[in-house]
Amino acid sequence: MFSYYLKLGWLSIRRNPLLSTLMVAAIAVGIGSCMTIITVNYIMSSNPIPQKSDQLFYVQLDSWDPNNEDDDGFEPPEQVTYLDAMALMKADKAYRQIASNRSGLVLEPQGEGERPFAVDTRNTWADFFPMFDLRFIYGSGWDDSADRNLERVVVLSKEINERVFGGEDSVGRSVRLNGMDFQVVGVIDEFLPVPKFYDVTNGAFNEPEEIFIPFNISVEYEFPRNGNTNCWKTPDGDGFEAFLNSECAWIQFWAELRNETEKQDYMTFLNAYAEQQKELGRFPRPLNNQLSNVMEWMEKQEVVDDDAQVMLGLSLLFLLVCLLNTIGLLLAKFLGKSGDISLRRALGASRSSLFIQHMIESGLIGLGGGVLGLGLTWLGLRGIEMLFGDFVKNLVGLDWVMVLTAIGLAILSALLAGLYPTWRACRIAPASQLKIQ
Amino acid sequence: MEIGPIWRAMMRNKTGAILIALQIAVTMAIMVNAISIMQERGRVMSRSSGIDEHNIFVITSVGFAEDFNERITIEEDLAMLRVMPGVVNAIQSNSVPLSGGGWSMGLQTEPGAEIEGTGVAIYFVDEHGIDTFGLNLVAGENFDATDITWRERSDTDWPDKTIITRAMAETLYPDDPDGALGKTVYISDTEPLTITGIIEQMQAPWNSWDGVERVMLAPTHTLFGATRYIIRTEPGMRDSLMPQVEELLAERNKNRIVRSMRSMDEIRERSYRGDSSMITILTFTIVLLIAVTSLGIVGLASFSVNRRTKQIGTRRALGASKVAILRYFMTENFIISFLGVLLGAGLTIGLNILMIEAFSLTRIAWYLVPVAMLMLLMVGQVAVFGPARRASSVPPAVATRTV
Amino acid sequence: MLSMQNISMVYRAGMVETHALREFSLEVAEGDFVSVTGPSGSGKTTFLNIAGLLEQFTDGRYELDGRDVSGLSDTESSAVRNEKIGFVFQSFNLIPDLNLFDNVDVPLRYRGFNAAERKRRIEKVLETVGLASRMKHLPSQLSGGQQQRVAIARALAGEPRFLLADEPTGNLDSHMAMSVMELISEINSNGTTIIMVTHDPVLAEMASRNVHILDGRVSDDHPDIQIAQAATA
Repeated sequence: MFSYYLKLGWLSIRRNPLLSTLMVAAIAVGIGSCMTIITVNYIMSSNPIPQKSDQLFYVQLDSWDPNNEDDDGFEPPEQVTYLDAMALMKADKAYRQIASNRSGLVLEPQGEGERPFAVDTRNTWADFFPMFDLRFIYGSGWDDSADRNLERVVVLSKEINERVFGGEDSVGRSVRLNGMDFQVVGVIDEFLPVPKFYDVTNGAFNEPEEIFIPFNISVEYEFPRNGNTNCWKTPDGDGFEAFLNSECAWIQFWAELRNETEKQDYMTFLNAYAEQQKELGRFPRPLNNQLSNVMEWMEKQEVVDDDAQVMLGLSLLFLLVCLLNTIGLLLAKFLGKSGDISLRRALGASRSSLFIQHMIESGLIGLGGGVLGLGLTWLGLRGIEMLFGDFVKNLVGLDWVMVLTAIGLAILSALLAGLYPTWRACRIAPASQLKIQ
Repeated sequence: MEIGPIWRAMMRNKTGAILIALQIAVTMAIMVNAISIMQERGRVMSRSSGIDEHNIFVITSVGFAEDFNERITIEEDLAMLRVMPGVVNAIQSNSVPLSGGGWSMGLQTEPGAEIEGTGVAIYFVDEHGIDTFGLNLVAGENFDATDITWRERSDTDWPDKTIITRAMAETLYPDDPDGALGKTVYISDTEPLTITGIIEQMQAPWNSWDGVERVMLAPTHTLFGATRYIIRTEPGMRDSLMPQVEELLAERNKNRIVRSMRSMDEIRERSYRGDSSMITILTFTIVLLIAVTSLGIVGLASFSVNRRTKQIGTRRALGASKVAILRYFMTENFIISFLGVLLGAGLTIGLNILMIEAFSLTRIAWYLVPVAMLMLLMVGQVAVFGPARRASSVPPAVATRTV
Repeated sequence: MLSMQNISMVYRAGMVETHALREFSLEVAEGDFVSVTGPSGSGKTTFLNIAGLLEQFTDGRYELDGRDVSGLSDTESSAVRNEKIGFVFQSFNLIPDLNLFDNVDVPLRYRGFNAAERKRRIEKVLETVGLASRMKHLPSQLSGGQQQRVAIARALAGEPRFLLADEPTGNLDSHMAMSVMELISEINSNGTTIIMVTHDPVLAEMASRNVHILDGRVSDDHPDIQIAQAATA
């Protein structure tokens, strides 16, 4: 029976090519515009590390200015100070933990005539690699001992290894960074978390860094900081030492806590640490330390930007217009064949079979609209890519979830749109239309 | 006009009319709000940065070798740049307007840690700063070469002079902005600065900051590792000078790399790319939306003409002229569209209130509502014209056909 | 009243020419009640369409009420139809979305009468056909006979010089048909010229004159058949 209905639907669609084309086009345009924007929102709000996003916690310590209160009360600073980061690293109370920040170095290739170039650098700790599930092509991350002993080791991204070593296994070889030799210990495979959750303060949708070096090294050699530095107090005195001991926050701190107990314990530890600091005259505000897992942190940082949400709202309304359009056209179409319907009724078709027949016809139109809409979505995303350029490079991919969503949404929309017209069609009395014709 | 019978006939077949009216209403709500957003973005984008944008470009030099001397490099680079033919002037600064990255501090009129300072963007410049940026000094005087200090990355000292924008003076001294000249303000809670000059206008590096015109110039060269040069050229010389400067800087000192060379025009484009893209997307949306709505009107009107062929023939037989039939369908659409835009006006305002609450957007300009109403009424009339003309060409002899 | 001389009507479909009327001539005097009969395809409907100015003819001359109406523009013919001709159709052709009042109102609107005048006329003609009490009803709420009475009322409302009826009882049962025919005769007796196309010889005999069309020509003209009305009533 289903295939019979499919055939009827197809015949009916072909009978009115103009009306059918209009309907398919209306759904396609609605789906296309909506899915384009939904895709951007979906990627912006996607979970960059689903396998353990609820075990990774961003640490905020409220060491801030007691005289600087927001409308919503005290909010802890987005990053932590060097003093606190080092204390938390030393305490080693979490299953894993890392302090990290971003800097930029100059890499001098060894080959003749090759020009030095700037590389984005992440200064971090050994746990960074297992914590964020980075996969290695060659070698591995560095050991804890490298952090402690200030070893000049480096992990390269796939692209940099390609550029400097032609993609060969470069473990054990050295690269020259800011005039110093670093030994390669590993090359990571592609690593492109979207959003770039581990450091949203430098742009949630930027590219990850190209090389990774021990945090302690970057401090030892006073490598430049490329990121936000916020101070509520001027450092006591000039010089790097004074800066390190200041109330300037410039480090992102992550802890891996495997379960609720570990999280509770860690929170207790943080609060105890803050209390202890209060005794030393720091942390002048009321106790307000916070642990946010990955998705909570993304939410707090509002990584999905307002424009994307405004566009989402408008595009959903747009889809509504397209649906209203489709309802009208379907109604026109179904009532236009009242003669056919009442004849079928006279020949014994039940209301429910007519209902199914017309819903299938609507669904078919939806399917057509969905497929065409998918094409439009692809075009829409290319359009967005063209407009925003490298700002959105990682936001305009279509995955199978989105493809299915597009088709599903189109069929669902068409079925919804078909509901009322179908109901009207089913109410046509048998033979009412036969008399005069 | 025969509105009465048209209305009563329409009420017998409400659904189609309601669907069109709803479509027009939602279309209007989207359209007006989108246009309002576009206007707002346009306004933001049209603000002046206060500097001579078209003739300025920036380039960054990063030293990396052990024996790299940043201070000497800066002094030599600037001396060379300033005598290059076509270059008006050049400085080293930490940032430029619209670049998105910069330094801000708080300024306060009384010293003390407990006092909340007024946020201000800082540009470190030397005595060529005003000329290089093309700023308009409206009071006081420019820095002198002897005022210029050198600052390392972790230094905390401040020079004792500053030049601020008029907007900053107005924020610091709301009662007497003209009296700001010569006053002492405090940075880092207690460090005193004397205001020695006031410039008419200049934007901070962050275009969406609410204090975007609060700017101070500090007479300082920075030794932060990465040095940014701001170069102002004679009109029309910028594009030819850019590659020359890049090459010269790179060749002059092999212990550094030069990068991120951009014209101010490019920096502006990047700074507002989100906004200009939003405008493009919204324009596109509006066009598509109107196309969809018009096609919907065409589709439903065509259907309605087909359904009423016999009726049209009868009217013709009873003496309706072609024009009368055309007018019938145009009037019918006008009534539907009119109801649509009335409802649309309500929806528009409702949606705007929602958007203001959720995204702190601005209120729509009142005139957009009547303008959009008129426009959509016209769109409806244009869309229905085709089907209406087809209706008017139904021959009267249709009336005597029995099938 | 109505004078057709050598009217020809040729339909062209590609290379094929169909002669619907050939040199058709007919004179109808003021106050006549003419029935037009003929088999299917004889040209009855074409005659009706041309007489009612619903179609242009190919050749010949047509005078209506002393005015040459050959080659009138579309707008002019609309005006002539509206003022001088009343139509009664086989399937009534009431507008289903309009109530009786608005249906009768249709031609009056095109005539440009003011609201009061229209109302007066509508009420008067609906009174004449005995449906004044159902003014607000929709056509679908009436029987076939009642619907045809409304259609007649609509045809009369503009006080036309002559009435063209196309199988006016074709969709009615014999009882209703009779009452409609009585109404039409009554209208005729009030001075309106009537041309009625029918295939029913009984109805045809109720007219004062019968014209038989065959192959697009008048084949038979009975100027004074008995008015059967009295006999059958």
